[in-house]
Amino acid sequence: MANAMIVPWEINEHTHEFFVPEYILAYAQEVLKHYDLSVKSMEIVTTKPDKGGAIWKIATNKGAKSLKLLHRRPTRSLFSLGAQEYLTEVQHARVPSIHKSKSGMNYVEAGGKLWFIADWIEPLQPVTKDLAGAKQLCYALGEFHRLSRGYIPPAHAEVASRLYNWPKSYEKMVEKMEWFRQIGNAYRDTPASKALLAVVDQFESQAIESYRRLEGSQYSNLVEQGNDYWGLVHQDYGWSNGQMGKNGMWIIDLDGVAYDLPIRDLRKLISGTMADLKYWDITWVKEMINAYHAANPITPEVYELLMIDFSLPNEFYKNIKEVVFEPELFLNEQTATLIHTIVETDKTKWPVLHELQSQWKGMKSS
Amino acid sequence: MRILMICTEKLPVPPIRGGAIQTYLSGCLPYLRQEHEITVLGITDPSLPTKETVDDINYVRVDGKIFELYMEGVIQFLQSNDFDLIHIFNRPRLVIPIRQVAPNSKITLSMHNDMFTPDKISAEEGTAVINEVALISTVSNYIGGQIKALYPQAESKVRTIYSGVDCNQFLPGNDPNMQKIRQTLRRKHNLENKTVILFAGRLSSNKGVDRLLRAIPELTKKHKDLALVVVGSNWFSQNNVTDYVAYIRALAKKLPVPVVTTGFVAPSEIQNWFAVADIFVCTSIWQEPLARVHYEAMAAGLPIVTTARGGNPEVMIPGVNGYIVDQPEDPSQFAEKLSLLLSNRMDMKKMGERGRELALSLYQWERVGTDILTFWQDAQESPTSSEKVDYSALLNNRSTERTTNYFQFRPFDTQPTTIETRNEMLTWKASQENSRSLRRTRRNERRKERRREQKSRRRRRNIEIGKRNDR
Repeated sequence: MANAMIVPWEINEHTHEFFVPEYILAYAQEVLKHYDLSVKSMEIVTTKPDKGGAIWKIATNKGAKSLKLLHRRPTRSLFSLGAQEYLTEVQHARVPSIHKSKSGMNYVEAGGKLWFIADWIEPLQPVTKDLAGAKQLCYALGEFHRLSRGYIPPAHAEVASRLYNWPKSYEKMVEKMEWFRQIGNAYRDTPASKALLAVVDQFESQAIESYRRLEGSQYSNLVEQGNDYWGLVHQDYGWSNGQMGKNGMWIIDLDGVAYDLPIRDLRKLISGTMADLKYWDITWVKEMINAYHAANPITPEVYELLMIDFSLPNEFYKNIKEVVFEPELFLNEQTATLIHTIVETDKTKWPVLHELQSQWKGMKSS
Repeated sequence: MRILMICTEKLPVPPIRGGAIQTYLSGCLPYLRQEHEITVLGITDPSLPTKETVDDINYVRVDGKIFELYMEGVIQFLQSNDFDLIHIFNRPRLVIPIRQVAPNSKITLSMHNDMFTPDKISAEEGTAVINEVALISTVSNYIGGQIKALYPQAESKVRTIYSGVDCNQFLPGNDPNMQKIRQTLRRKHNLENKTVILFAGRLSSNKGVDRLLRAIPELTKKHKDLALVVVGSNWFSQNNVTDYVAYIRALAKKLPVPVVTTGFVAPSEIQNWFAVADIFVCTSIWQEPLARVHYEAMAAGLPIVTTARGGNPEVMIPGVNGYIVDQPEDPSQFAEKLSLLLSNRMDMKKMGERGRELALSLYQWERVGTDILTFWQDAQESPTSSEKVDYSALLNNRSTERTTNYFQFRPFDTQPTTIETRNEMLTWKASQENSRSLRRTRRNERRKERRREQKSRRRRRNIEIGKRNDR
């Protein structure tokens, strides 16, 4: 297995929680040899068997570090590593510093994947799951976005950008509503099919309307400012990847960063939080936006896009898109209940969006 | 002439991992090497050496996958090698950098996709490219038309050279060389006594195989003993399950006819599935340049149902080698055209035979090779501009940013583009949402559906009762 390419691995009832195949563990040992660290202990903390990724916490003579096996294409990983380096070395953002290898590289390649070592930030404490915590998260996110501007990836990295893809991703959502309808029709004998078919039209119309609004927005003009003008989205930001450290909020797990209009992270954080609350709360949304705005000012044009992105049936889409995989299992009683909850939550979204819209008008005139 | 043919950064030559451009290139090489000294520059692959000479053709391979990286390798190679003519596949953005290091070579382009659109190349660079190339060959009139619509000055430089097929590899199922394979595969997959409808292509939503699956229930009302074979993986050699693949699998599972899904089939084996089939369907919804599968289906003697998108209709003679679906978004149109074929088996057979004749007379590699040789000759004889333009400003200004209208980046299109089609669809849908008549139709459909269900439930119950009685 000396030259084996790292691939996803199987787990089953016989493998333990953090099982990683032997050959990958052997690679980990090889990788460590490229660093001027003496490793006292090593503990696996996360695995992504379905993708082929893993994270270890390692205790070294230079303090606690993380060792990561990145599951993405090496050229894609180069983009994220460059970003992490830019954020720490140029912008002094509170993200973990990358520990360079003996040859001065910010990664080591093994098994056809990139591995890297970064500081293990401790202590880190999740912020409270209330409005105060949410505001801290939003402010830190704004800070992160502001500092990520100006990043230029290294020459051989893929340019990971979602900036130009908004119309495409909106279209995709409209298209998939049709898929959901077709599957609902084909699997009429399942418990949730009726619930799905009852609401798919309504959510499809919403997505179409959002697409129209995007088309009529300043989107095309905004994205022409270019990738590095707008900076990076984290894409997986929330209570676990933004945490409080000794001297402020830290942002971790930057492996998925990509260029985008950064408020997409904010939209996800807010709509996800509202889904957790099971209703849209105007105070939360306003204050979260304001907290973000304090760290990374939102122009009226970007605010408009935030509103448009809110108007998509995000939660329905996010929760139902799995239906294509195993419809007969997915369309069960729980999913029927879930759809009901999503519809009820969605009803409370629109008055909030309406009020936010007028707030925007206020911002525009100020 | 000393000729360099430069492939794209995506897939290696020979086409061990498939690819339309790679297939085109190696299909005509045997004819090209007889006249010229050919070097093929392509990307590295674990299973291929970085340099080799096979059948008098020099292969040089540099690292690829990422365009910028590949371009560096290409330029580096050209800094120490001279050619009379450089033939670039599908990458107009290579032209100017190459011109900088090869000031005296003739440059020709072979275009296989829409690569001159503003999201792919800036107007400034596109203009320079049109100016620097001697000639441009395109795989269809559609692709040529797209270039001319954006750059009218390209008119005199653009000509169509249709791709080809190996008529000895792709043979009708009743050919002595194929009969046994046809029988074996049919037996293995329980397709005996079935009329087999074949789709072969990437499993992605723009290729639209879902519309074919959705057409089947309607089709089975009139035609018995149908079966579907779906050949192809979502992206060349990788068998990943994307959302789309999952979606079509979910649809296939509920169909009233057998569906054989093969996953990735090596390019060297694919003719076997064409020999198994009785009808070929191309379901493309996007403006496709001109899918190779049409040539393969014709060579295999299959009647074709394809779509009025991009260059696909250019190889069709409706009613002679098959039919064209005008609105591929609509599954019922596939049902209609397929039904037309299935209703008259004599005509269906004849259309397949006509397809084979067309492939033999128009679409063999030898014809492609001859066309390219003439094309190069003309390129060589074309006047050379004595004026050398300094492109350093243009090249230094190379940015990864793209400026375009992201919603309608092909406003010049005569046929609806994918995005415009989408807009039309959205408008249509929205208007339909409000229309009472639609709701009525839907209600009726639901009623019918319910009746059908009751009927089948009754039938199932009867069967159950029958079984019980048997015991």
